Amino acid sequence: MKVGLFIPCFVNELYPHVAMATLELLEGYGVEAVYPLEQSCCGQPLANNGDSVGACAAAERFTGLFKDFDYVVAPSGSCVSHVKHHFPWYIADNADFQRLQPRVYEIVEFLQDVLRVDKLPKPVYFPHKVSIHQSCHGLRELQHASPSELMIPYQSRLERILQLVDGIEIGLPERRDECCGFGGTFCVDEPEVSVAMGRDRVAQHEATGAEYIVGADSSCLMHMGGIIRHNGRTIRPLHVVELLTGRGGAA
Amino acid sequence: MKADNLYHPDAARAFLADGARASWHDQAIWFVRQKRDTQARQLPEWEELRKLAEQIKAHTLSRLDEYLLQFEENARHNGVTVHFAADAAEHNRIVHQLLAARQVKKLVKSKSMLTEECGLNPYLEARGIEVIDTDLGERIVQLRHEAPSHIVMPAIHLKKEQISELFHEELGTEAGNNDPTYLTHAARANLRQHFLTADAGLTGVNFAVAETGGVVVCTNEGNADLGTALPRLHIASMGIEKIIPKLEHLGVFTRLLARSAIGSPVTTYTSHFHRARPGGEMHIVIVDNGRSDILGNPDFYASLRCIRCGACMNTCPVYRRSSGHSYSYVIPGPIGSTLGPSRDIKKHGSMAFACTTCGSCSNVCPVRINLHEQLILQRKRVFDAGALKPAKKMGLLAMRFLTRHPALLDGAGKAMRKVVPILPEVIKDSTAWSRPGRELPEMPEHSFKELYRRSQENKQ
Amino acid sequence: MSTSRDAILAKIRRHRPAGPALPDIHTVPFLTFDDKFAAFAGLIRNLGGEAIWLAEDQTVAEAVAQRWPQRGRVVDLTLLQHEEAFTPHDWHDVDVAIVPGELAVAENAAVWVSHPDNTFRSLYFLTDKLVMVVPKERLVDTMRDAYGQIAIREHGFGAFISGSSRTADIEQSLVMGAHGAMAALVIFC
Repeated sequence: MKVGLFIPCFVNELYPHVAMATLELLEGYGVEAVYPLEQSCCGQPLANNGDSVGACAAAERFTGLFKDFDYVVAPSGSCVSHVKHHFPWYIADNADFQRLQPRVYEIVEFLQDVLRVDKLPKPVYFPHKVSIHQSCHGLRELQHASPSELMIPYQSRLERILQLVDGIEIGLPERRDECCGFGGTFCVDEPEVSVAMGRDRVAQHEATGAEYIVGADSSCLMHMGGIIRHNGRTIRPLHVVELLTGRGGAA
Repeated sequence: MKADNLYHPDAARAFLADGARASWHDQAIWFVRQKRDTQARQLPEWEELRKLAEQIKAHTLSRLDEYLLQFEENARHNGVTVHFAADAAEHNRIVHQLLAARQVKKLVKSKSMLTEECGLNPYLEARGIEVIDTDLGERIVQLRHEAPSHIVMPAIHLKKEQISELFHEELGTEAGNNDPTYLTHAARANLRQHFLTADAGLTGVNFAVAETGGVVVCTNEGNADLGTALPRLHIASMGIEKIIPKLEHLGVFTRLLARSAIGSPVTTYTSHFHRARPGGEMHIVIVDNGRSDILGNPDFYASLRCIRCGACMNTCPVYRRSSGHSYSYVIPGPIGSTLGPSRDIKKHGSMAFACTTCGSCSNVCPVRINLHEQLILQRKRVFDAGALKPAKKMGLLAMRFLTRHPALLDGAGKAMRKVVPILPEVIKDSTAWSRPGRELPEMPEHSFKELYRRSQENKQ
Repeated sequence: MSTSRDAILAKIRRHRPAGPALPDIHTVPFLTFDDKFAAFAGLIRNLGGEAIWLAEDQTVAEAVAQRWPQRGRVVDLTLLQHEEAFTPHDWHDVDVAIVPGELAVAENAAVWVSHPDNTFRSLYFLTDKLVMVVPKERLVDTMRDAYGQIAIREHGFGAFISGSSRTADIEQSLVMGAHGAMAALVIFC
C-alpha cells in the first residue's frame, strides 16, 4: 500500500508539525507514505471565490500528481472535501479523477476505515479534558459526525479515535457543531463577523472546562488560536494528529 | 426599504459595533433553531419527510407549466379570477387596477415576501391607497418605514423598548410600557378597526394546489383570515413556484413548515381558500418576476423549491451575527443569498460571500436545497461578471499563478514566514486578519516541505 | 387572457428541468400515537387552548358555561337553529363562538373547520373565544391522515385551527390573542 501524503498549502507553511505528525502516524502503522514535493494547493480558495479557471487547473494538477497512489491522505477535512466533493464541479469527466476520488481520505477516516486501527502506534497518556471542535466540511460534507441539524443516530469519528488515548476526558461545547467563523477567505472578507463567531466558539469550548480544543482542521484552529492569544486566554488549540502522536504537550 | 449599495461586510461591521445587541440577536434566533430541533426530533420520519418534500417540489418544477395550467383551470372553475404577471411592475399594475376599479381606499395585507419583492406598498400608496400590513412584525417595520429583517420574524432586529416607543407615538400606548402582551394587544385593537373598515384584503400564498385550484395560507395571528373574511375583495399574490400537485401533499408540507420555521408543530391557522366569501370576489395573481430564468439554470433551479420557512436564516451563524438588514436583497440569509444574486449578480454579489460555507443551512432546509453549494456557485458568477473588488481579483489571480508554480508558492510562503515576525505591530494590527482582535499565527522556521526534503536527503 | 400568461408558460416549458416521478407519500411510515387524545390535549395547552372530553351527562353549552361563566354574546353553530349574520362584520362583537370541527389531529392539536351551514367564516376569527366541537372518533395521528379525510365544504373555505391566535413578533415573547381568538376550547363528544 502506497499512500500519497496531501499536505494543505497553509499547513505546509504554518503547521509543519501537524504534517509531520500525520506522516509519523501513517509510518507508525507501517504504511509507506510519500509526500510529492510538486504539490501546491488543491484550489479551494480559488473555487470558493469563483475562479473556476484557476480551480479547474488546480484540480487537474492535483489529480496528475496523486493519481498513481493507492490512497491519498490529508490532515484536513476541508481540503479533502474539496477534492472529493467539489472537484467534480470542474473535472467530473476526468477519468484519472474518477478513479482517484474514492481513494482520497482525511487522516482520521483513513485510520478508522482503511487501517481499522484499534490502538495507537505508541501509547499516549493525556490526562486532560479536551473540547471537540467539529470543522464544518469534515462534519457536513464528509459526515465525520452526525450534524446537529439532521435527525440521525449520533456518531463522531473524533470522539471514537480519542478513545485510544489514555487518561483523556472528552467534552462537547454548547451548540456542539456551530461554525467557528473561519470560512476560508471569509475570515478576511468579513473579519468582524468571523471574529465575533470565533469569540463565541472559544467561549463555548472554554465553558466545558477543557484545557484544549481538539479538531481535525488546522484552519479553524488557527483562527480560534489567534482569538485566544489576542484575548490572553489559556485554552489551547490542538490538531487531533498532534494528540495521537503524543505532541499534545506535557502529560 | 434597503439602500441600493448595501455591502454586507460593511453593514455587518456596523451591526456588530453594538456587541451586546448583536449577541442578543444571535441568541434570540438560535433559540428558534433549538425549538426547530426539538420539534424535528419528535418525528422519527423527519429525514424521510424532507426527502418527500424535496421530491414533490422537484417533480412539480419539472412540469411546472402543466401544473400551473391545471391550477388555473381549477381555480377558474371555482369562480376565482386568475392573472399572470411577468414581472413586479405588471403585478403591481394588476393589483392596482383591481383595487381602483372597485374604489378601494384601504387594503389590509397579510405577510407576503412577494409583495415586498415587487415593492407593492409604495406603488399603491403613491396612487392614494392606504395599505395596512397586518402581521404584527410587518406592521412594526411598516410603521418604522423599514424592510423586514427576517422573512418569518420581520421585527426580530428590534428590542421591545423600541417597539414600545414606536407604539407610543403611532398608536398612543403608554410611554415606557414595554410589556409584549400589552403592546401586542394594543396593536390588536388598532388593527381590528382596520380589518373592519378595509375594502380589500391581500394575502401571500404558502401553497397553491393544482388539483383543487385553491391556495393555502399559514399564519399564527389569524390576520390572513380576518383580512379575507371581512372585505369583499380577496387578492392572493403568488410566485409561480408555490404550486404543489395534490391536496394530499399538504400532509407533507404542513408537517414541515411550522416545525422548520418557528419550532411549532403547526401554525395556528392553516387556511384553504378556494372561493371568495359569499358576496365577495377572489383573484389570484401568479407572478414570474425572474423565476422562470432561475428554472432554466441547472446550478440554481433547486432554490425554487423553497417554502420560505426561514430555517436557513435561523441556523446561519453569519445571519445571526449580522442581521437581515445587512443583506442587500429583500430576502436575507442563505436562501436570499442565492435568490438575490440570481436576480442581479452585481447588486447582490456580496451576499454570496456572506457565508463560511458551513453547510448548516442545507441540513435544516425542509426541501433539502443545496444552499451552501449554491452560494459557492454564485461566487463563480460574481467572478465571471467582473464584480469582484479589484484587490481581491488580483489576489486570486496571483494565487492561481502560484498554484501552478509550486516553487514560487514555496518562495512566497517562506517570505511570509520570514517577514511577518519582523513586521511592526502597527502594520500587523491593521490587516483584515488582525484588525477585529485576532493574532497572526506564529511563523515556524521551516515549512514541512523543507523538513521533509531534508529528512529524505538524510535517509539517502 | 393575457400575453404574459402565454409568454410565462412558454418560457417555463423551455426551461423546465428534468425531475423525479411524484413520490407516493403513503409508503413512508409516519408517527402514530398510543393515546391520541393525551397527545392532542398535551399540545394544545401550550398553544393557548384546552381540550376536554364531554362528560356523559353534560351538554356542550354546559361545558362552555362551566369554563366561561361570564359569556356575553354566544353564537352556537352546532345548534340546528342558530343565529345568522347578514354581513361578515356582524360577528365583530361575539364573545364565544361554538362551531363544529370535523376532525382533530393528534400531532399538532389542529381541528379541521369547514362547516357547510356557515355563511360567514369571519366568525371563527372575530370571536373572542373559539369552541370547536369534534366527534371523539374523529381524532387522527398526523396531517397526512387528516388530508385523506377532509372535504372543503364551506363556500370553498376550510381551515385547520390549532389553539388560539398568537404571535411572538416582539422579542420572541409568545403572546396569545394576536388578531383572532384569545382562547380556544376543543370539546370531544
